[in-house]
Amino acid sequence: MLKSRYIIIIGCGRLGSYLANRLSRDGHSVVVIDQKETAFLNLTADFSGFRIQGNAVELAVLKEARIEDADCVLVTATDDNVNLMVGQMAKEVFNVPQVIARVYDLKRERAYQEFGIRTISPTELAAFAFLGAIVDTDNQGKR
Amino acid sequence: MRYSRFLRERYRTILSYIGLVNLVTGIVIILPLFFLAARPAESRYFLGFLIPGGGLCGLGLALWRTLRPYSVSGITLLEGAVVVVISWLIAAIVGALPFIWIQGFNFTQAVFESVSGWTTTGLSVVDVTKAPHVILIYRSLMQFAGGAGIAIIMLAAFGGAVGQGLTTAEGRGNQLVPHVERSAKLVLTIYGGYAVLGFIALMIAGMNWFDALNHTFAALSTGGFSTRVESIGYWNSPWVEAVIIVLMILGNLNFLTSYALVRGKFKQVIRDGEVRLQLVLYPVCAIVVFLGVTLGLYPALGKAIRVAVFEVVTALTTTGFSTVSYSNWNGLGWLVLIILMLIGGGTNSTAGGIKQYRIYALYRTLLWEFKRIFLPRSAVTDPDVWQAGTRGFLKDIHVRQVAVFVFIYLVTYFIGSGIICAHGYSLKESLFEFASALGTVGLSVGVTTATSPAGVLWTEIAGMFLGRLEFFVVFIGLAKIFKDLYTCSFSPSEKRSQRRKR
Repeated sequence: MLKSRYIIIIGCGRLGSYLANRLSRDGHSVVVIDQKETAFLNLTADFSGFRIQGNAVELAVLKEARIEDADCVLVTATDDNVNLMVGQMAKEVFNVPQVIARVYDLKRERAYQEFGIRTISPTELAAFAFLGAIVDTDNQGKR
Repeated sequence: MRYSRFLRERYRTILSYIGLVNLVTGIVIILPLFFLAARPAESRYFLGFLIPGGGLCGLGLALWRTLRPYSVSGITLLEGAVVVVISWLIAAIVGALPFIWIQGFNFTQAVFESVSGWTTTGLSVVDVTKAPHVILIYRSLMQFAGGAGIAIIMLAAFGGAVGQGLTTAEGRGNQLVPHVERSAKLVLTIYGGYAVLGFIALMIAGMNWFDALNHTFAALSTGGFSTRVESIGYWNSPWVEAVIIVLMILGNLNFLTSYALVRGKFKQVIRDGEVRLQLVLYPVCAIVVFLGVTLGLYPALGKAIRVAVFEVVTALTTTGFSTVSYSNWNGLGWLVLIILMLIGGGTNSTAGGIKQYRIYALYRTLLWEFKRIFLPRSAVTDPDVWQAGTRGFLKDIHVRQVAVFVFIYLVTYFIGSGIICAHGYSLKESLFEFASALGTVGLSVGVTTATSPAGVLWTEIAGMFLGRLEFFVVFIGLAKIFKDLYTCSFSPSEKRSQRRKR
């Protein structure tokens, strides 16, 4: 297991809540931020971290989550622009060592990379899976 | 059918956690045995502790080893309520056994003393002049453990992935850091650190080590069991009183506030709503008691001031140490003490009562209701409350929860006082004594003695139990147990399948 880290997760939807439950159960200190209080219903009994209701774009909300002490920020909101902005603030303003963001639009990935934010793109992952599947059937056909 | 199988699986987990809690409770009951090494003359009481404590440890270990869940999973708030209620009932009864065997108490008296210990009340039917020292240290240890809910905190700190459900169910839910395990360890560290400092300070103030140990435990847990009949009044020393006052206030601070205090974040501490309420209540009430009661009663001015301050702090922090008897106090003094006992200590501390946070929240809401009249009708505002560095806004749902709690608290208070009245005690005495029991305070005006009628003692037992666990946990815990028993044994689908088998 990784040593216990202080992790902030932005967005508590399907992905965010899954990560939060999992990381909290594994013994990390987890803070989740979401605008809607109902989003926290996604968290299970495994989760024992803090929930902060608010807009992660606001500095006050990030400060309340003590982002300056965070080892890692996971940005999983659904809006690419929000993700970029929050990721940028975490990296530039608060010097968080590791920032990982979800990005849907592949065209924006470069913008993230310029700020040193690691990206994970569901679009790209799905595309790879699709491409892999096409190649596989080709191979099967030849055999 | 599938649901009852699911329930059985969940109850396996619940029972295994109950086992773990019992293990810790058992260890607390055995702990006084180490003290016997210092006092070999009392070693004939060895078995009186070893059998209940060891038995409980064995039972707990057996439950945990046989039922331990295959995959670790957290428990929900509802399931936590079941664990808490059952563990507390077991602790109350097993904790009573040493009193029966060693002191020769009947069942009612023994359970009363045990519940008064675990709930950190401090009302007592033990004659401390005759009781062996090992019983005295046992009572103090019970308070020390019960105050912070040690068993559950230990479980959260070392029991693996437990989740928030348990600590929240026990009313000690506010976490210091965003992980339940580390939060629990921090609470243990702060609590233990305070205890060490308190012990040293009391030794310096002039107590012997035995009294210092007992009073540290009882003051920090806002418990109030003393080793002397006159309680703190025995020493009649300003230094002892000063140290005890500090310990009582530390014990009644929310652990969140304590954490801020220990880290030197005084701005957060001073902003906290509960701290502000205390900063108003201590001086105001002390002055009222001083001018209205003690100034006329005690000839020495110093004594009058000391008594006024000490009695106000002990009532609000729900500790229950006393330096004087209240029988010669006038109605004003009694009223102030009753009000303070009803308000009680901080949330997420070791104290009881309605809790300062709820009172402060209601006060903020009241203020806000007035303010709103002068605002434009379309203005959107919410009353705010600071709690250890974070500013919270009171939504209607929070105010509703607070209001319902205060309502049920007062209803229980008047019913309980009524029952004590019905046993022939005066209204004054009944109101005082039941406020003391329900708020887990422990100040007494003489209603609670070894010869009190069983009805009075059981009423107070119920009051202490409900007051410590904050009502709802007891209700939802019991309701869940009965509902699930019903579903498991009488569910229609189950019956149908049984009939089919036949």
